[in-house]
Amino acid sequence: MIQYAAIILFVFGLYGLFTNRNVIKMIVSLNVMEVGLNIFIISIGFTYDGIAPILSSTTANGLLYVDPLPQALVLTAIVIGVGTTALGLAIAKSIHKTYNTFDLDEMGDKE
Amino acid sequence: MSAILLVAIPLLVAFLSILVKKYAPYLLIIVGLFNLVMLFLLQDGGVIIGGFDQPLGINLLLNLYSRIALILINALIVVIACLNIKDYGKYGSILLLAMAGLNGLVLTVDLFNFFVFLEISGIAAYLITSSNKKPTNTFHYLALGAVGSSLFLFGVIILYAMYGTLNYGAMIEAIAANNNYAEVVLPFTLMFIGLGVEAKLLPFNSWVKGALGHSNTMSGPMIASVYAAALSFVLGRMIDNLFLFQGTLLTIVTVLLTVGILLGDFMAFSSTKTREILLFSSVAQASIVALLFVNGVVAWAVWLIIANALSKTVMFLVINKATKEVGCDETKSLQGLFTKNILVGLAFTLATLSVMGLPLLVGFMIKLNFLTALAGAGQIWLIVAILIASLVEGIYFVRLLVKLWYKGENEISVKYNLSFKVVFVVIALALLAFGSYTAPMNQIDNSVDAVTEVVNNG
Amino acid sequence: MASIEYLILILVGASFLAYLFTKLNTYLGSVFTILATMFVFASLAGYGFGMGLDTTVNYLPWFTFNQTYLGFYFVIIIAFVYLMVSFFHPYYLGQYKYKDSYNMLFLLSLAGIIGAFYTDNFLQLFFFFELIIWTTMFLIPQGKSREAAVSYFGFSVAGSVAMLIGIFLIFSSTGQLDITSGLAAISGTNAIIVFILFLIAGFAKLGAFPLHIWLPIAHGNAPHPFSPVLSGALVKLGAFIGILALVRIVPTANLLVDSINLPLGQWLVAILGSISIVFGTLMAIKEDDAKKLLAYSSMSHGGYILVAFSLMNSVAFAGGFYHILAHAIASAAAFMAIAAVARATGTTKMKELGGMIHKMPITYLAYLVAIISMAGIPPMGGFISKWLIFMAVINKGMIFVAIAIFFGSVGSFLYVFRPLAALFLGQEFREYKHVKEAPIMMLIPTFILMGLNVYTGVFPSFILNFINNILGELGYAALNVTSSSIINVFDGQGILNPALISLVFAVGVFIAFIIFILLKKSRSVSLMDTYTAANFVHDEHLLHYSVDFYAPLERLYEKHTNWMTKFYESLAKKVKEIGNLGKYLFMSKNIGTTMLWIITIIILLLWGVAL
Repeated sequence: MIQYAAIILFVFGLYGLFTNRNVIKMIVSLNVMEVGLNIFIISIGFTYDGIAPILSSTTANGLLYVDPLPQALVLTAIVIGVGTTALGLAIAKSIHKTYNTFDLDEMGDKE
Repeated sequence: MSAILLVAIPLLVAFLSILVKKYAPYLLIIVGLFNLVMLFLLQDGGVIIGGFDQPLGINLLLNLYSRIALILINALIVVIACLNIKDYGKYGSILLLAMAGLNGLVLTVDLFNFFVFLEISGIAAYLITSSNKKPTNTFHYLALGAVGSSLFLFGVIILYAMYGTLNYGAMIEAIAANNNYAEVVLPFTLMFIGLGVEAKLLPFNSWVKGALGHSNTMSGPMIASVYAAALSFVLGRMIDNLFLFQGTLLTIVTVLLTVGILLGDFMAFSSTKTREILLFSSVAQASIVALLFVNGVVAWAVWLIIANALSKTVMFLVINKATKEVGCDETKSLQGLFTKNILVGLAFTLATLSVMGLPLLVGFMIKLNFLTALAGAGQIWLIVAILIASLVEGIYFVRLLVKLWYKGENEISVKYNLSFKVVFVVIALALLAFGSYTAPMNQIDNSVDAVTEVVNNG
Repeated sequence: MASIEYLILILVGASFLAYLFTKLNTYLGSVFTILATMFVFASLAGYGFGMGLDTTVNYLPWFTFNQTYLGFYFVIIIAFVYLMVSFFHPYYLGQYKYKDSYNMLFLLSLAGIIGAFYTDNFLQLFFFFELIIWTTMFLIPQGKSREAAVSYFGFSVAGSVAMLIGIFLIFSSTGQLDITSGLAAISGTNAIIVFILFLIAGFAKLGAFPLHIWLPIAHGNAPHPFSPVLSGALVKLGAFIGILALVRIVPTANLLVDSINLPLGQWLVAILGSISIVFGTLMAIKEDDAKKLLAYSSMSHGGYILVAFSLMNSVAFAGGFYHILAHAIASAAAFMAIAAVARATGTTKMKELGGMIHKMPITYLAYLVAIISMAGIPPMGGFISKWLIFMAVINKGMIFVAIAIFFGSVGSFLYVFRPLAALFLGQEFREYKHVKEAPIMMLIPTFILMGLNVYTGVFPSFILNFINNILGELGYAALNVTSSSIINVFDGQGILNPALISLVFAVGVFIAFIIFILLKKSRSVSLMDTYTAANFVHDEHLLHYSVDFYAPLERLYEKHTNWMTKFYESLAKKVKEIGNLGKYLFMSKNIGTTMLWIITIIILLLWGVAL
């Protein structure tokens, strides 16, 4: 179920990127898309009634774990997403400095 | 000594070099040379990181295929860095990052790790194009690149959900054991599109026009040669080992690539700006390379990538330098560029002839051999498409060459430094030498990148 | 023992030496080029006639060579034209922008020619063809126009692309890359496609209709010493490919055109060849530039060659082979004469020239002999070949082709005479008072070519005997030639005695000469010594008679001459439009467009899988 939500979020992000011509809004759309993707990744490893995958001397074998790998992946993906967003915002700032607007359509033919 | 150093050292030095910005380009050259030496010393084989046995954990794989790719990438980055030390010295740290990212991309055999390196090299590429001073184009590239890598990650995660592994070898075996191609169509498509964005495949590549159409002596060869070569190599590895296109997917991919070849050359034909001609021709070449991988002509695809990377380096350097001094890249305003620069003109001409695939140059032998291989596989229609595209390509390149060799109304004078000339001459001579002496090229065959075997044995 | 491999290697080495020498001194480099060409020609002539060349390969591992009479016939003609032309280099190269590379590329292309005709492998054939194309392509823009190089390259590469597709079709269906066995093994539908593709290649290189657009552009604008190579030598590559297709593949052998007992494919080629003849003739009549006029004449002669090789009997083939030689010599001589005039006066436009006979009598004589041969009048070589082709066509009963051939012959009189009269005869313009006859070095090839034009017309037996060897190689019966040069075709239906004809001709010329001596001398008047309708004409150029010479005839068709050019122009425009459409669709600045494509492809794919 949660996977549908994730995919819908992802598609929302794509839609936002598709329809917006404002640089900031496009970056936000990218973020929405990434959030959707991250949720999707997490959902892959999720097991109903599973416990946190922490290995200790007290836990017995045979218990249901949540798959720890997607969680590790999501951490990395989030970091990368933040990096991309930061870079995007920096570029947005430089766009604003050059054209005095965030809207790609208002920049005219100046290239 | 292990292959991990090829990634770790550039990455480490990239962050350290921020502290000593002035020396960043020199650090870059030292690291690049160190990598090249390492590549000649290292043994083939896999590297296991973090002590997890396969298929767990992250693995790197150094085989002949990745060694060729790495030597090409690192050598070209060093050359480009040397030539731009004065104008683009402050991009040294970024080029180090790019080097780390691309080396990792070629070495890794773990799909998620691959994604990480895709993003690292992607971020470096966005920063490299920002040297064009066209922020909207950089943003365009960034947005598409982000979407592309998200799609790639989506595909990877779906594969993980299906087979529970991220390791190449294990994944290939699992897919083979399952023997149901229909269920992997969606993830493969997503991954192909994701890589296609970076590898300049039509129709995912609208960023190319902005990013390369305004490129300079650093960003031009970096994106058009180094990135194109690296991405073609990894795309080839994916297609050759993992995707193994079949059925509908094969049809759609073949159609896409064929259209890419034809349209790429048609678009170049209709362009009047020199840089656009070059970049659209790269688009067509990237599609040809991918098409060869799809048809299993791996060995000649490898040589085609190398020849293209070398030729395009020369071409973009010559044109971008001239554009910078003339201030315009319309072919009309570059007329007579070579009247005073005979040597540069000769090198550019040889590089162009090689891309066009004319005899005595390496491009011809490669073209003839891969066409023969395609003919042997009975792919006559692909040959027809490639040859029609090459006819159009020949016409626009000859038109360009004739313009550049003969004076127009205005006389232009462009000065090329000695370092530029040395690079041009060396590359041109290499293209000429391997065009007549082809014996070394027959030494690799289509199984050059059999990932599964090495992974399982190593 | 001369070896083909050594000849090629020597030429490649010599080309780099020629570059260095020309860089030092134009004259030195050109003389070196003459010597290198002469060496190659002498080795070929010395060993090649008896198939005595060494075909072993030591240093070029990928290549294999094989000697055939067919290949040798072409290679010796072309090498000869190269040798003749190289004598012109010292006097022309100085004015070219990249003269040092001129000699280099010239010798490299000759290396390509030798390879192309001696190789026995398709891929190597393609290698040498492409080599010839790109080396010669860089020579053309040194002349008048840069676009000419693009046009030449475009059509030539279109031809070799068609050939390569044909080669790969043969390879993928029979697994053969050997020329002889490959052509023999191909059959069925593939044979028809290969036949068409090879003919496209042949037509493109020969400049035959409908792939002729490049011919006048390239010939007319090429450097003066290069036009003879283009017309006399390089278009013959097309004839070679055409022969491979027409003689070795007969794809429609059981699809005969009933009344004349000729396979359909060959019949169509004969028709296209006739169109080339007629079209070339009409365009040549209209042309004002002497070099372009000769270019159109090359096109019409290409048509003769195509007709000859599509008739499938040994008389026609012999005529075709003889025509290749006769036309090579004649057109080389004609172009070289024009080149000599152009060197002295700086123009090739007919209405700007006149009276050159007073200044350049030898060049005039060379041109005169050449055009007599081109028009197919005895006692020159062109007559023998045209006679053989006429005989074969009439024997087949192909009426329309015969009409075209006769039209081409009559047309030749109309157009080749025009440059003669315009350039050499008539009144001399004031600006050419200082003009002198060409230097002695340039007269050497002029005399040789003149002599050969006559020799081929008077004593054809030696060449026809060699052609008989080729016919035997192709599996056709030899031509009946007696030692006294009497040619007998179709069992006595046609008997030709060239020596006798020449004798009669010589007597006629002698009588005319006597009359000329006995009659009163004509008085020389200046061009302006005239009144027109009681008006004094101030510009002497308007009195030039070649202005609008055939105006009534031209008016009949002048509106319909450029529709093929328009076709190719619109083809190029279409490609450009598709390219722009591609840019609009895929290279938009709007990120959304690319996203749309990505989503479309995913949906298409899922839909395809679901089906």
